[in-house]
Amino acid sequence: MLEIKQLSFTYSTQQNEQTHELAMCFNLDVKDGEILSIIGPSGSGKSTLFNLIAGFNSPSSGEILIDKVDISQDPIGQRSVTTVFQEHNLFPHLNVFNNVAIGINPSLKLTKSQNKEVDEALNSVGLSHYIKRKPAKLSGGQRQRVALARALVRQQKILLLDEPLAALGPAMRDEIIDLLREIVADKHIMALLISHQPSDALRASERTAFIHEGKVLDINNTEVMLNHSSYQEIQNYLGQL
Amino acid sequence: MRTKAGILVVVLLGLFITVPLISLFLASDILGSQFNPANSLAIWNDAYLRQAIYFSIYQASLSAFLSVSLGVIIARAFARFGNFPLRGLILNLFGLPLVVPAIVAVLGIISVYGSKGWLPLGSDLYGINGILLAHLFFNLPLSVRLLLPVWSNIPQQQWRISSQLGMTTSQQWKNLEWPALREALPGISLLVFMLCLTSFAVVLSLGGGPKSTTLEVAIYQSLRFDFDPAQAIVLALLQLGISILLAGIAVKLSYQPDVEANLQLNHEIPISQRRFLLGSFIALATLFVISPLLAMLIDALQGPIVSVLKDNKLWTALGFSLLIGLSAGFISLFLGWILLSASAEQSYFGNKRFAQLLEFSGSVIYVVPPLVIGTGLFIILSNITNVFDWAILLVILINGLMGLPFVIRTLGPAMRQHTMRFHRLSASLNLSTWQRFKIIDLPLLRKPVGLSMALVTAMAMGDLGVIALFGTPETATLPLLLYQRLSAYQIPHATVTAVFLLLSCLLAFWLLERLIGGSNTTATRVNRHA
Repeated sequence: MLEIKQLSFTYSTQQNEQTHELAMCFNLDVKDGEILSIIGPSGSGKSTLFNLIAGFNSPSSGEILIDKVDISQDPIGQRSVTTVFQEHNLFPHLNVFNNVAIGINPSLKLTKSQNKEVDEALNSVGLSHYIKRKPAKLSGGQRQRVALARALVRQQKILLLDEPLAALGPAMRDEIIDLLREIVADKHIMALLISHQPSDALRASERTAFIHEGKVLDINNTEVMLNHSSYQEIQNYLGQL
Repeated sequence: MRTKAGILVVVLLGLFITVPLISLFLASDILGSQFNPANSLAIWNDAYLRQAIYFSIYQASLSAFLSVSLGVIIARAFARFGNFPLRGLILNLFGLPLVVPAIVAVLGIISVYGSKGWLPLGSDLYGINGILLAHLFFNLPLSVRLLLPVWSNIPQQQWRISSQLGMTTSQQWKNLEWPALREALPGISLLVFMLCLTSFAVVLSLGGGPKSTTLEVAIYQSLRFDFDPAQAIVLALLQLGISILLAGIAVKLSYQPDVEANLQLNHEIPISQRRFLLGSFIALATLFVISPLLAMLIDALQGPIVSVLKDNKLWTALGFSLLIGLSAGFISLFLGWILLSASAEQSYFGNKRFAQLLEFSGSVIYVVPPLVIGTGLFIILSNITNVFDWAILLVILINGLMGLPFVIRTLGPAMRQHTMRFHRLSASLNLSTWQRFKIIDLPLLRKPVGLSMALVTAMAMGDLGVIALFGTPETATLPLLLYQRLSAYQIPHATVTAVFLLLSCLLAFWLLERLIGGSNTTATRVNRHA
């Protein structure tokens, strides 16, 4: 289980030559085998939350507990976290196989069983026939599947999905979400998914967190939040979409 | 209208290049009644000529290899060291060699590595060693500034993924840095090679004899001392052939280095564990770049400042330099603006190939040795008038045209972007060409315009190539006066003159960029980014 308790961070932005400071403080939890969708307006702190969990930003206080162990001070490479971004997940000079294999060993020296693991991961995302292709020769959806295959072989407990569907068409989005649900349930990992499309949240997760001005304003059943929320901020956000 | 004006400029440029070449051809009698193929073959078989070709390519290859490979090490040190207080200042300093006249750099190199310098190389300085040092002085900082954006352009996500995957420094080099560099290196290496191949003042002053002569210097010697147009034409055609070949390769390369590069530090780039080593590289490179200027400054302060400043020749030469610099800058900018407007308009209408052709025609001049154009014009005009009366005008014209490729590289990207954004709006407001220039184009493009004007003016003020051919003691510019003093071994006077020339160029650059470009200039922008 992932528990985030009083995780604080101060964020500075420059607008009209004036510095604005936003104090953020997050509290939430994700169960094993669950995908938690994260929605909220631009600049509300969604990506900052991910940066804190992954270790790209350091919190001023608070805890990030994975199975009751605090990882908030651990170096990036030692956290059981893997991230899939909207783009640039793949190294352009490596083929599909090596882009996945690098998740197991960055020196790309793999044992026979590790090679098999990569094959299986690519098979499970439906790309076993593309192993020699370079990323430039893949579609947007295929590239995201390779990134998911790499996340699979890394076998980390937390999967952070930072708008991985933003550049995809509706059919491809549904396909990737279904694949994601399968992976999370099968591997019993925890995933957090940032998306700007309420329909993605509805398809991907039972629960959704709404982030507003650096805080988790509400965590609720996705259907309830999207259709019956009593929060004005959530209604405004959904109305703007 | 814009396109027609652009085509007219292309035609004028074509005439300006071809007519002098033809006149040289005719003067050399290669195609005339006394033409003897055996003589022509003899020129090709000439050992001196072969040596000039060999040495041109040898010194340019070695200079480019050293500049770019050391540039990679220093640029990487800047990228992986993290931010530090003097970073912006040092990177601005690395932009200085763009404005420092070659002849001034030569004197600086002599001040440091000459027999009385801080690190004396003695007579070994003259020849390949001196040429390499001077070319490194110019091209190492240039390479660093052109290479540094490669690190910032690696996507933030890839640095983050590499951290999550626990990549070591060498794995990051192999998987992130080298693949990005590999795309940029051919374009940058070719640019540096080209600059070294056509380098004139450095080889003329530090070459030290026929063994270390390049094609460019050999052309000068054929025309100025031997007055042998036939040999000059053969040499010029060779130089032209090599340059066209390289230009052809450059067009094929996908990565084109940016003159106005963004040197901002990407904060996602992990800071190296070996900061001491990287800091040492940066310190050594900085010392290498500033030491010639510093040594020259110290020598000048101990030199005959008053006597040099009292000499009327200095002020007359400054006047000629300013006249040449400002006029050449104006000509470059005027022609460049017309060409780029036409190119941007064609690009806007989707005629990308024609747009590229228009831009490319402005850069073609770079592959023709200015000495060849100058001599051709000299021959044509000598039948009509006393050419030496027109020497300054010729120098202005040739420098103005030689500045055109720099205007195209500096102003081109901004002009294209600007046309894409405002062409339709301007057309819908039914603005005349002048109204559009005054109300929309110039105010919005004043920064790159200021940078272009400043760059070409400073370069023309410091040019020794064309004035060396036409200049007389009465029409000497500051670089020629400096060269005359160097040749007469008046080193203390030459040093003071060199510092005076350097300060004049820097002041002209700074004033023009500020006056035309406004206070928020490129230099300050780069500094802030850095």
